[in-house]
Amino acid sequence: MTTPTAATATAVAPAGAGRARARRSPRRTARRIGKGAAVAALLVFTLFPAYFMLASAFAPRATSGIDVLLPTEFSLRHFEYVLTRAGFLTYLGNSVLVALITVVGSSLLALLAAVAVARFRFRLRTTVLILILVVQMVPLEALVISLFLLARDLQMLNSLIGLGVVYIALSLPFAVWMLRGFVAAVPVEVEEAAYIDGASWGRMFWSVLFPLVAPGLVATGIFSFITAWNEFILALTFMNDSDKYTVAVGLRQFFGQYTTDWGAVMAASTIITLPVMAFFLFVQRGLVSGLVAGAVKG
Amino acid sequence: MSEPVLVRPAADPASAAGRPLPPPRARRRRRVPLRPWLLLAPGLAVIGVLLLYPLGRVVWLSFQDYGLRNVVSGEPNYNGLDNYVALLTDPFLWRVVLPNTIVFAVVAVGGTVVLGTLVALLLRSLGPWWRTVVIGCVLVAWAMPAVTGTYVWIWIFDVDRGLVRQLLQAVGLVGPEGFNWFTERLSFYAIVTLNIVHHGFPFVAVTVLAGLLTIPRELTEAAMLDGANAWQRFWRVTVPTIRPVFAVVTILSTIWDFKVFAQVYLMPGGGGTNPEVFNLGVWSYVRSFAQQSYGLGSAVAVLLTLMLLVITIGYLRAVFRDEELR
Repeated sequence: MTTPTAATATAVAPAGAGRARARRSPRRTARRIGKGAAVAALLVFTLFPAYFMLASAFAPRATSGIDVLLPTEFSLRHFEYVLTRAGFLTYLGNSVLVALITVVGSSLLALLAAVAVARFRFRLRTTVLILILVVQMVPLEALVISLFLLARDLQMLNSLIGLGVVYIALSLPFAVWMLRGFVAAVPVEVEEAAYIDGASWGRMFWSVLFPLVAPGLVATGIFSFITAWNEFILALTFMNDSDKYTVAVGLRQFFGQYTTDWGAVMAASTIITLPVMAFFLFVQRGLVSGLVAGAVKG
Repeated sequence: MSEPVLVRPAADPASAAGRPLPPPRARRRRRVPLRPWLLLAPGLAVIGVLLLYPLGRVVWLSFQDYGLRNVVSGEPNYNGLDNYVALLTDPFLWRVVLPNTIVFAVVAVGGTVVLGTLVALLLRSLGPWWRTVVIGCVLVAWAMPAVTGTYVWIWIFDVDRGLVRQLLQAVGLVGPEGFNWFTERLSFYAIVTLNIVHHGFPFVAVTVLAGLLTIPRELTEAAMLDGANAWQRFWRVTVPTIRPVFAVVTILSTIWDFKVFAQVYLMPGGGGTNPEVFNLGVWSYVRSFAQQSYGLGSAVAVLLTLMLLVITIGYLRAVFRDEELR
């Protein structure tokens, strides 16, 4: 990954037949070189932070930026420190529990709501859809004050279940919006065929509709997972007890008053980032189509 | 319970199952659709209790002098519009917080959209294999969680041992005494902007690329025959054709950049020790939780929400301009 430049330049200006023509027209060669340089610069820019995070995490000592830049040795001691002595496993466990509550709750509620808005016409349906869109825009900074007071009144501060329930609400609007498309994509004829075969609505829902939208459910579940896993401001406010920190908040533990153990911070960041990246690459298509709704259809 | 009114025969209740029309009064009763509301009820209840009620409560709190005492006792303490008067007459809002929020958002959105569009144009000109590779790499930047991404940028710009400082010192641009770019408002926000643009441009690139690929090739070819150069083709053909796409990515980026929180709060000084770098979100949070002044914090939060609401209306109009909700 440190040498995308050479690889890019050769591949964008392919060898063989193209080269003879390119030699005849210098402008074309210049354009190809320019494009190769642009791709190389873009790859360096996009990948650099991720690369630097990994390089620092695996370096034996991360005390100087320049030393980390070109690694000579490879060490797992930062990971060992983070996972054993620093108690990061507790935070990981907390985050997994909170994310599971979020995924199960939000997928279930989103499926029901998505069927309602995709399969039925009823009064206020447009209002409900616009509400779902608008509510996503509300800044968490505005909600955190009253959610904190609400959680305090309900004795839910420092409760992982309480945090998970709040995250259900945070991830629900986008999950409904995205699943709506998956439900609408199932042909109505499939449902009608189930009715003709004598199925009740409930039977049709579980035996026909549910299996067909299952891939969409996986995708929305992953987005809910990412929402819960990455969320910062509410976890910061709700969790005062360090045993209850989620990973996003637990990272702050590695910042000393005077010095920071950057190797440990980067190792912990790597552990947090990898599952998100894996999931994200898997579902990004749905994110784009969900966010831009009708605008891209052109 | 009525038959589910399927989507296609929407306007005509009689065609639901091809049955003859029931008598008028019965028909009206049958048309009250219970099932969609039953399906929606749990989701709407959760949204109502955990998103809408808190939103209402923060407005209500913003008309109170609500401190730690009130948090403990739970008693309201109204003071009318005092919080808003104090907020809007505070020079700190106009001199520091609003510029930090608005100027930053404008610069960051501009950078994100321009870079994303350039990347989309580059992606369109690549062959399928390279396009897939580059999109995959670009997604890595997008997938980076805000919290860890911010820490990586802080480490890159670390004042004592960071890469940027050491490189600048090696070429002689920074003396051995170093330079703390986290204390200066401008350099602080330059780093935030870098962080946000890096994290935000992949969405713009992927979305604009999807739009670019819908443009019929004939349009571009016709413009070429008419002698338009690449610059003219972009502004006269590409931009007008996929204007809704640009509207959506610009507005969504604006919404996201207005409510940036972790990327500022986690930076050195951004968590409360350096008021010069506060934006609306951080100011509201610090006012509420560090200074225990929940009423004033709520007023700041309401101001931020109102600004976002205006932008959101623009978003809805861009998405649904000529398309009904399906």
